[in-house]
Amino acid sequence: MKGLAPLFFGIFGTFAFSWVGLTVIPNWQIGHLNPQSDEEGTDIYPMPQSGMVQWGAHVYAANGCVYCHSEQVRAEYAGADIERKWGVRRSAPRDYIFERPVWLGKARMGQDLANIGARAPKEEESPSPTGSASPAPQGAAVSSPPPSAGSPSPASLPAATAPVAPRGSPAPKGPGSPAAAVSPSSPLPGGTVAAGPGTGVASPSPAAAAKASPAASPATPPSPAGPPWPEQTAGLPPMYSAAWHHVHLYSPRSINLDSNMPSYRFLYQARRISDARSSDALQLTGSDAPPEGWEIVPTYDAKCLVAYMMALNQSHPLKEVKSSGAAPAASPAASPSPAPGGQPPK
Amino acid sequence: MNPAGIPLKEPSVSAAAGDTGQLERAVIDASTRVPVLIFYTSAVAWLILGTLLAGFVSFKLHTPDLLSDISFLTWGRVRPAHMNVMVYGWASMAGMGTAIWLMARLCRTVLRYPLLLVAAAGFWNLGVLLGVGGILLGDSTGYQWLEFPSYAAIILFVAYTLVASWAVLMFRFRRGEQIYITQWYLLGAFLWFPWLYAAGQLMLFVVPVQGVLQAAVGWWYANNLLFLWFGAIGLGTAYYMIPKVIGRPVYSYHLATIGFWSYALFSSWTGMQRLVDGPFPAWMVTASIAATILTLIPVATVGLNHHMTMQGYFPLMRYSPTLRFTVFGAMSYTVFSLVGVLISLRSVARYVNFTQASIAYSHLGLYAFFTMVIFGSMYYIVPRLIGREWRYASLIKLHFWASAYGIGLMTLMLLAGGFLQGASMENPSLAFSESVESVLPYLRGRSLSGILLTVSHFIFAYHFGLMLFGLGRKSTVPTFLNPVEAEGAEAHI
Repeated sequence: MKGLAPLFFGIFGTFAFSWVGLTVIPNWQIGHLNPQSDEEGTDIYPMPQSGMVQWGAHVYAANGCVYCHSEQVRAEYAGADIERKWGVRRSAPRDYIFERPVWLGKARMGQDLANIGARAPKEEESPSPTGSASPAPQGAAVSSPPPSAGSPSPASLPAATAPVAPRGSPAPKGPGSPAAAVSPSSPLPGGTVAAGPGTGVASPSPAAAAKASPAASPATPPSPAGPPWPEQTAGLPPMYSAAWHHVHLYSPRSINLDSNMPSYRFLYQARRISDARSSDALQLTGSDAPPEGWEIVPTYDAKCLVAYMMALNQSHPLKEVKSSGAAPAASPAASPSPAPGGQPPK
Repeated sequence: MNPAGIPLKEPSVSAAAGDTGQLERAVIDASTRVPVLIFYTSAVAWLILGTLLAGFVSFKLHTPDLLSDISFLTWGRVRPAHMNVMVYGWASMAGMGTAIWLMARLCRTVLRYPLLLVAAAGFWNLGVLLGVGGILLGDSTGYQWLEFPSYAAIILFVAYTLVASWAVLMFRFRRGEQIYITQWYLLGAFLWFPWLYAAGQLMLFVVPVQGVLQAAVGWWYANNLLFLWFGAIGLGTAYYMIPKVIGRPVYSYHLATIGFWSYALFSSWTGMQRLVDGPFPAWMVTASIAATILTLIPVATVGLNHHMTMQGYFPLMRYSPTLRFTVFGAMSYTVFSLVGVLISLRSVARYVNFTQASIAYSHLGLYAFFTMVIFGSMYYIVPRLIGREWRYASLIKLHFWASAYGIGLMTLMLLAGGFLQGASMENPSLAFSESVESVLPYLRGRSLSGILLTVSHFIFAYHFGLMLFGLGRKSTVPTFLNPVEAEGAEAHI
């Protein structure tokens, strides 16, 4: 080849072609999306993030969570994401417009986290630390301790026995979810298997429970769906609650023996209890528990990280994405089941 | 032709003493000594550090509790530290060292402005050091291969500007009209990298694009870094070393032209296939898949060209360390591209997306192809800078086989593990944890391959150190892997 000019122009031209094609044009196409809202201008989604959540995204990146966890739900035809209950619909560009940075992820050595916040038990954030609450105060509302919760109606039996229940039933979220409506109380504290929604619907409105459970079970036949992972462990906060995330980050294998996640103890600090145990101290058991008179509390980074995870929630419907299942409305029971019990209270 | 009867060096070296061509080359080589050796020495140091980090990462992945309580040794920080040490510390510095030497030789002029390069090497080392330190202290940005915090990125960019401006200056001093194939690739690499790096930094950190586009820009950057920076240097080096060592011109200039332009055009459009089925317009992914398939054109032309050049000379790989490493690398380029096409196809990508298979792919590109070619070039160049020959043929052989088996085993383990992991991940009747457990045995196998690579790198570093301290052999005969004399080729050496 002779002469520099053709070489220079060719080198610049080919690269400019790629740069324009793969970054500039997509930016023009989907780079300026706005949040969606309904006609009245309410119900805006997505919403800007709080400062703690943004710092949490930084902590997430700095500690390499992004190398093992993805944050995207693929459509039903493309993978088992929705069947695995990682979300109720596929992710869309609009879901991410306020996230900065965006961690779509590149590997799944751990679960997808796109909807990890949506899996938190209802009313999680409001009540006192779940650890200090004992089962006793709930005695009035919940007719009997959970193990026997299945007995009142045979219909709810699968929900109580199959560990699928916490995720198969109308779990995801939404202020108007039936579980939240009927049980404003905190979810059942530790010590129970299959805490959360299952018990929430059990006693106050048996009708709803009877409707919901059979509807849920065909959609998620317990055996082929396999056990959820990780499973609710006795003596720990309800799955996917903030307190549970802290214990999980501190000691993953106390929650799930098979977990391959490193522990992030350096995000926590041990300190001496001065007069009372702090409200945010971790509920640790067994060999992880600190010595007498000490407690383990999250650092600011850990709190932000958990705030970030609790904010990951794509269960809100988007106009451009068809939700899976036949429940397109903003039904709180955005689970695949069109649960008739899931409609009412708004 | 009897393979043993083929001259193992450039013909001019065996020509009569006083040959001006040979003298000229010796003068040019001498002028590159200081900058190239600085780049090489730093690169080897980073290689050793990166290897240690790699072993640590690999073991921690299947033994998560290993030293996990120390913040700067947590897996999620050591892994990006390893990747960036290898990408910017080892591969980029060694690649630039080779590229500098090649530029001087091919421009047929003594190296001008060596201080520019010395300063660039200093800044580059500082940038990598700060960047890796920043990552370990929790300052990583989290974008693949752009994890360095901004203060390190700026220093790297300054260093890089020095190298690129040196390259352009050298081009102005070149003698002769003809621009050899290697120079196309090198010029391409030198001009693509700053644009790529600047575009990546600007679109992700300075004026970040909205939402998911950040992921698209991230993959665009990572893929183009692999192809247009490392790939271009690696291919350019192979185009020089193979004909040079066997003393025969490249088979076809025409094929080389097609190969170069199709490479520039198509490989730069790949990358988005990693976003398959993600929240993106489908055309982006499809365009990249199509581009990946079209890269088979440069693969075929480059592969054919090298093959036809080597035709009849393959037995020389028994003797020449440079040739053995370079040909291994050139062949790996074909394998790398074929694997790339395979895991890009939509139906396959669905399985292997999010699995270890993508790690096999990047190691094929960065190690089996690029690093092996660069090892080959270092075996050729270092003796010419120092005036000594490599001391032990046995160490070179060990290095080669440990590297070849190590990377082969690693690729197999990660590909097989990745496919298995993907299959169980896509099967909703299996718990998610089973997809992780299914890959663990393969990750242990990968750690074994890592031990092989560690051995090979320590051997190489030791050998390189001997050369650096002037402990190489004093001889006019290059170090061959097997005694050539035994087969009656004395006359040619």
